[in-house]
Amino acid sequence: MRIRRTLSKIFGLAQIAVGALAMVFAFLSFYNIFGTQTILGISGESAGLYLWVFIIFGLLSAISGIFLLYEQQT
Amino acid sequence: MNSKLELKIMDEPQLKRDLGLLRATMLGVGGAISAGGFVTIGYAAGLAGYAIVPVVFVSGFISLLTMFSYAELGTAIPLAGGEYTFSKVAYGGLISFFTGWFEWLSNMFYTALSAIGFAYAISYIFPQINIPLMAVIVVIIFACVNLRGVKATGTAEVIITVAVLIIMAIFVLGGWSYTQGTQTPPSPFPFSLIGTFAAASFLFDLYLGGEAVAASQAEIKNPGRNIPIAIVLSGAILIMLYTSVIAISVGIVPPAILKDQSSPIAFVAQQAMGPAGGILVTIGLAIAGLAATNESIMAQSRVLYAMGRDGYLPKQFCKVHKRFCTPYVAVIVCAIFTAIFTATGLVNFVVYAVNLGFIIGFTIVNLSLIKLRKIAPHLKRPFKVPLYPLTPIAGIATCLFLILFIEPSVLVLGLELGVVALLVYYIRMVGYVRIRIALGGISFGLGVFAAFAAYLLSNNIIVLRDAPAGVSTLFLWILVFISVVQILAGLLHVTASEQ
Repeated sequence: MRIRRTLSKIFGLAQIAVGALAMVFAFLSFYNIFGTQTILGISGESAGLYLWVFIIFGLLSAISGIFLLYEQQT
Repeated sequence: MNSKLELKIMDEPQLKRDLGLLRATMLGVGGAISAGGFVTIGYAAGLAGYAIVPVVFVSGFISLLTMFSYAELGTAIPLAGGEYTFSKVAYGGLISFFTGWFEWLSNMFYTALSAIGFAYAISYIFPQINIPLMAVIVVIIFACVNLRGVKATGTAEVIITVAVLIIMAIFVLGGWSYTQGTQTPPSPFPFSLIGTFAAASFLFDLYLGGEAVAASQAEIKNPGRNIPIAIVLSGAILIMLYTSVIAISVGIVPPAILKDQSSPIAFVAQQAMGPAGGILVTIGLAIAGLAATNESIMAQSRVLYAMGRDGYLPKQFCKVHKRFCTPYVAVIVCAIFTAIFTATGLVNFVVYAVNLGFIIGFTIVNLSLIKLRKIAPHLKRPFKVPLYPLTPIAGIATCLFLILFIEPSVLVLGLELGVVALLVYYIRMVGYVRIRIALGGISFGLGVFAAFAAYLLSNNIIVLRDAPAGVSTLFLWILVFISVVQILAGLLHVTASEQ
């Protein structure tokens, strides 16, 4: 149980970090900071779509991570 | 069924029964005569022309059909929560959650409308005030009044409502004497049928108040006698009030001019009684805005209280204050949401949202009445709807018909709010284990998505243009890492549910 608890905390934190970074990256790409739109080949018209995709990805990942981090102990 | 009901009634945390017949009636009247309602009359007159007078009368009659259902259900099921509680007893599950959800939202919008209406009314006298800020201050003040207890609320309601009724009586008498010998009574013909129905749909909010009596039934003395009398009495007072006010208004100012006024009744009063009349009516509207804000904060907090009691929302919502015997957590939460929404100052949006929410609520109340007559025929009913089942069926038919004339954008909004309700219900009701399974599936999906992107990048199907050397490889490894994390997290979620 202790190993499982540790794994849940590690992967929970990792998911939260991935989620947070995905949301930060969403804004980097939308506002073309560091030339991310050019690097990823994102056109200006579809930037909004990528913004939503990354935000939804990040939110889902973060929510899942929070549940793992604060897992109910039975 | 009856034994279940009795059990539910026994489980109800007890609120103080402080409201007599007069206060209960004034609760219904005060809740309906909001400043927002009087402001919408001008736009409705533009839609229906001189036919606005019979439209207002018929709207009141339509509302009264459902008020009979409220009276029967309110006395048969003496629990707080209004239509939400009725649908819970009749249907339960998702339908009752939806009813409560829309009832709360409608009351929240109505509170915002009343507060904004008040702010607009006093801006006639003090044009320099900040309208959204003033409206938010009003919401906060009346939240504090409601926190102190229902006795303070009921007393304030009676004083405010009587003051407004006196001012409106002065307006009607002054307007009537102005029209004597100088104007010919306007004919409602010819009129646009579509415009008439659209006006009826738009004016639905005028008579919203009687249902507040049912929502506060847990705090009304002798509910078997007082609730039906208060509901019918408040409906009759409102029909007389609105019909006479609007008949006088269109008799003095043509609907084509009335529709362009931001405060149509104050404009009419100014024409008939001079600037003093305009100021007097503005004061009346301001007071009406206060009364409606007060009542609707009370009504919406009782809905949250009931939903918390039933486990649809956190139990904290049904905590009762030890000293004041009020659901203080629900009042505070309602005040916060209302204040946020009031600060936006979106009046038209609020009016449409209020009407749609209450039309849905009225329909469900009538359906609940019919269902309960079938499944619980022996339930003690101190008051029974006359001409059953014609009355509730007529109530349903008219409500559904009015939905056809609501703005399409508001119907889309209603659909969106319904989807949000579904999400809240799912998260709240399905239980911890099923949520973990769902999150497991989501994590697997995210992992597969990242792995697929990594595959496309490694096979040069996706090419990072103008990227410095090594960035493409870095992206590839990041995607592989994300994929592994998500898939393993998904595995942990699924195995957690097995435990």
